[in-house]
Amino acid sequence: MLEGLKNKIEPAVSKVMRTPRKLDIEITASCNLRCRYCYFFNNPAVEYRDLPADEWLRFFDDLGSLGVMDVTLAGGEPFIREDLTALLEGLVRNRMRFTLLSNGALIDDEIAAFIARTGRCDCVQISVDGSCAAVHDTCRGRGAFNGAVRGIRTLQRHRVNVAVRVTIHRHNIDDLENIAHFLLEELGLPGFGTNSAGYLGTCRLNADDVMLTIAERQVAMATLLRLAEKYPDRISANAGPLAEGRAWRMMEEARAQNAPAFPNRGRLTACGCPSSKISVRADGAIVPCNMLNHIELGRINHDSLAEIWQNSPALNQLRNRHTIPLTDFKFCAGCSYIPYCTGSCPGLAYTITGKVDQPSPDACLRRFLEEGGTIP
Amino acid sequence: MNQTDKPIANPVVALREEFDDWAVLFNPDMAYAVGTNPVGVAVWKRLDGKRSIEDIVSEIKNSFEDTPDAVSKEIAAFVDTLAKNGFVGLEVESK
Repeated sequence: MLEGLKNKIEPAVSKVMRTPRKLDIEITASCNLRCRYCYFFNNPAVEYRDLPADEWLRFFDDLGSLGVMDVTLAGGEPFIREDLTALLEGLVRNRMRFTLLSNGALIDDEIAAFIARTGRCDCVQISVDGSCAAVHDTCRGRGAFNGAVRGIRTLQRHRVNVAVRVTIHRHNIDDLENIAHFLLEELGLPGFGTNSAGYLGTCRLNADDVMLTIAERQVAMATLLRLAEKYPDRISANAGPLAEGRAWRMMEEARAQNAPAFPNRGRLTACGCPSSKISVRADGAIVPCNMLNHIELGRINHDSLAEIWQNSPALNQLRNRHTIPLTDFKFCAGCSYIPYCTGSCPGLAYTITGKVDQPSPDACLRRFLEEGGTIP
Repeated sequence: MNQTDKPIANPVVALREEFDDWAVLFNPDMAYAVGTNPVGVAVWKRLDGKRSIEDIVSEIKNSFEDTPDAVSKEIAAFVDTLAKNGFVGLEVESK
């Protein structure tokens, strides 16, 4: 009678839940840095203003009543908020766990000790893009490296889980080996994640200076695949050169062998986010994802999050994106990789093509090869 | 102080009732979640420190049709699993 009891939640969450399980919240539009490839700033669709703590706390009460389990606080820089402890207390009080995304520079012993005491922090993710200041600070500004390392060491001292994300760009591809050594061996982190500067926000203004060329992408891919073998299970990627290297190798192998289509491929299936989570901008606008900040679904404390989650036409359109075959697109015409392709991120598809329901040219294997790239 | 035989739900645990009659119990302190069915939800809602397992079994038998013979053991095992994972405690007798 109770055979439905599962030891893990995961098998039960493949379909849309009654309310979102997770939220990504840009808790502030302020930041102490101005990184040259920041996805957040310089988005013409976004109103950059902060809400007072009481607005957020009221919203967190709402999330608690909806049974939301995990919240990621990003920005901007979350630690710039002087009321951050009150906000975190609001999440804890409402039976949620949390993750913070940060550049690390504003983390001191007091806040690290507070976070540790909550017992609810999954991790604080710090951005580290170089093994030394000369590399890291190229795109993040002077002093950023020292701040990041100081922040990591402070969190480690207080036994707060630290995750590191390395954003790969034109100025650090020759430093990847050193970065891996620095993070995994000198700082003793269990692992780190990678992505790459994407054509969003401020990065669009500096694309020629920061975004990888085809040749650089190939170098980054080869280096990261080699490092991932050197450090098994310690370097991860959901996007960027490492993720592409892994996926494209499999796609090329399948195409060469004329293998059957991969499950859930050949359609716009890349993004499963709208089935389990939703995002909120710093100004309180509810959006499907912080990569799709222009799609306003409603406002916190004014519109029902549950109603938006269950009935928003825009959100449901995104959820149905997976029914659109890649063969519908002129861009994909004649491509032999279609049975193995997901069409990639709708956020990047939008910023590059102006349409959400499109494959993203950025992560197109055929285009990469046509422009001179080879798969390592 | 002595423990009673009356289990009580950990107040920090959140119950997410989902479509299709399934539900999730989430313990944010343990970062642990379990999925369960309508009977599990009905049991969970009765873990108030006032009912014994026997009381709960009796109420479940009255609330659901065709309860199997093993329901008592299944419910006891379910509550035991929840207790082992910090979802449930036993009420303490007040003197």
